Amino acid sequence: MGGIMGIFQYEDDLLRLVQQLKNAGFTRPIVLSPVPLEHELEHIYGPRKSPVRRFSLAGGLTGALGGFSLAVACSLVFILPVGGRPIITFPPFLVITYEMTILCGVLFTLLGFHVVSGLPAWQDHPYDERLAVDRFGVIVPCAGEAQRVDAARLIRGAGAEEVRDVEDAS
Amino acid sequence: MSESVQAGYAPAYGGPDAAATEPYVEPTWNEVNDDVLRTMLVTGPKYWMLFGTTVTIAIVCFFIPWGLQLHYGLGLAGNNRSANWSTFLSNFIFWIGLSHSGTLLSAVLHITQSSWRKAIYRSAEAMTLFSLMTAALFVMVHLGRVWFVHWSVPIPNPMGLWPNFRSPLMFDVMAITTYLTASSIFIYMGSVPDFAAVRDASTGVRKRLYAIFSFGWRGTDKEWHTLGWAYTFFAVFVIPLAVSVHSIVSWDFALSTVPGLHHTIFAPYFVCGAIYSGTAGIVTVMFLLRKYLRLERYIQEDHFDKLGKLLIVLSLIWTYINVMELFTGWYSGGSFELEALRFKLFGFYAPMFWEMIFCCTFVPMLMLSKKIRTNWTWMLVISLLINLGMLTERFITVATSQPRKFLPEAFGFYFPGWTEFSITIGSFAVFATLFLIFIKWVPCVSLYEVKETLTPRRRVK
Repeated sequence: MGGIMGIFQYEDDLLRLVQQLKNAGFTRPIVLSPVPLEHELEHIYGPRKSPVRRFSLAGGLTGALGGFSLAVACSLVFILPVGGRPIITFPPFLVITYEMTILCGVLFTLLGFHVVSGLPAWQDHPYDERLAVDRFGVIVPCAGEAQRVDAARLIRGAGAEEVRDVEDAS
Repeated sequence: MSESVQAGYAPAYGGPDAAATEPYVEPTWNEVNDDVLRTMLVTGPKYWMLFGTTVTIAIVCFFIPWGLQLHYGLGLAGNNRSANWSTFLSNFIFWIGLSHSGTLLSAVLHITQSSWRKAIYRSAEAMTLFSLMTAALFVMVHLGRVWFVHWSVPIPNPMGLWPNFRSPLMFDVMAITTYLTASSIFIYMGSVPDFAAVRDASTGVRKRLYAIFSFGWRGTDKEWHTLGWAYTFFAVFVIPLAVSVHSIVSWDFALSTVPGLHHTIFAPYFVCGAIYSGTAGIVTVMFLLRKYLRLERYIQEDHFDKLGKLLIVLSLIWTYINVMELFTGWYSGGSFELEALRFKLFGFYAPMFWEMIFCCTFVPMLMLSKKIRTNWTWMLVISLLINLGMLTERFITVATSQPRKFLPEAFGFYFPGWTEFSITIGSFAVFATLFLIFIKWVPCVSLYEVKETLTPRRRVK
């Protein structure tokens, strides 16, 4: 889907535009910025939770189960009786369980980040190098020509430094 | 990219500390990129001289003695029949300890939304990573037959040998592997938006390389949102992990029944000591970065003031635990414990013990004065003395306990061999080399987080 991209010098101009786009019934635009604008966008679209937390939970549980199983399995295949103590013993194995919970939690969270954010993204998407320095951008997906005209008008009206057509509004 | 970048920067190393006397002017967002990227993209001759020196010291003092030790055996070190653990292990504890403030402090301050962390956390996390790598090297050095290190990993092998997970040494393997992995991911993920800034400011091979490092980051709201959640979870995982790592290191000692080591207080004692030495390490690193990379506008008096206050608190806790360790040993009344205490306080290594107390208990009290806390030179000296004290603490923990366990007939004596002295010196060069590589590959100050602390770019102020 094509769309319109605008580049702004000021954060509040951009946020005012996003509010106008929402009021005008546009689908949620893509906001690009050199710093996170999460709290500001929450005021417009409301808070949202990330599915990353499910990956973290799954990782933690997998690690806990895997860590304890690993310690038990190693003890059973290589039996080391020490002073009549039990072969499968909880206190030391809980340490392994704890560490594996964290290890898998971190690794699954990393996986979750990549899955949810869609990164790595090697193909070309609309971008401008100034967006990593001190400019703010917005990409408004448009369903047709009428929406393109509307979006461009709103972007210009909000004080954009630059407005351009983009073939791929993602 | 500003014109100053395109035209080329002034060399970033060894310049006069001019900004220290000038009034503070808040940098623009553009200047933040320029100032920080300059430290990566411009390399003066002083950098190469310093890099060459650290690499040479690392090879001569660390790797060559290690190679000789591999060839001739651990006999080159001061180990003997009663002292199987040596300076290599005390250095391992020291470097693990030094790693503790970077990631831990960064994670705690992230969770508590302390904005003063933002200018210093990247380098502090790098310190964690490289300290851990240096610590891991000491495990290899200590092993003797390092080519059998894979025996500690639970993988199928022809001997049918599997790790004994009831041993604290195996706890160590798991904890350090997890800590190294988590710390690497933590620093890398926090750097992804900055890698994108480097990509955009570079050309040629560097641009292609940073395009890969940054995963194609554009700074979309979805990317920021996901990174924010993931980063918070990393922080939540890392905090208990860091506490567990040094607790587990302490159990290498405390789970034995050796007098002087068999104390339940060892885990908090080690964790506190680790955070203490790590925080002092951050002060040292920040001083050097500020002075030699000209980052005066980002690393300010306020950072040192807060780190100084933190060091005072840690010093008091560390001292309290130290006194408790001595008290419980004395109060037990056991002859073995009393002898261990006597040797530690009044024996051959007593001067080192009292030096440790001087450096870690009395010297930090100077920071009760705000004038001292905001004086760069004083803070550097104090931070170095604290870490000297902590290095001593690790040494005497090993040197005064294991060689003198129970029966006087079996008492031995431990004094480091020349390889231990040399490898200890070399380890600092290894760490410095890794850090010098880091400042050329990763922005040492977080661009986007520093921008968050500056005046927002709004039309309506």
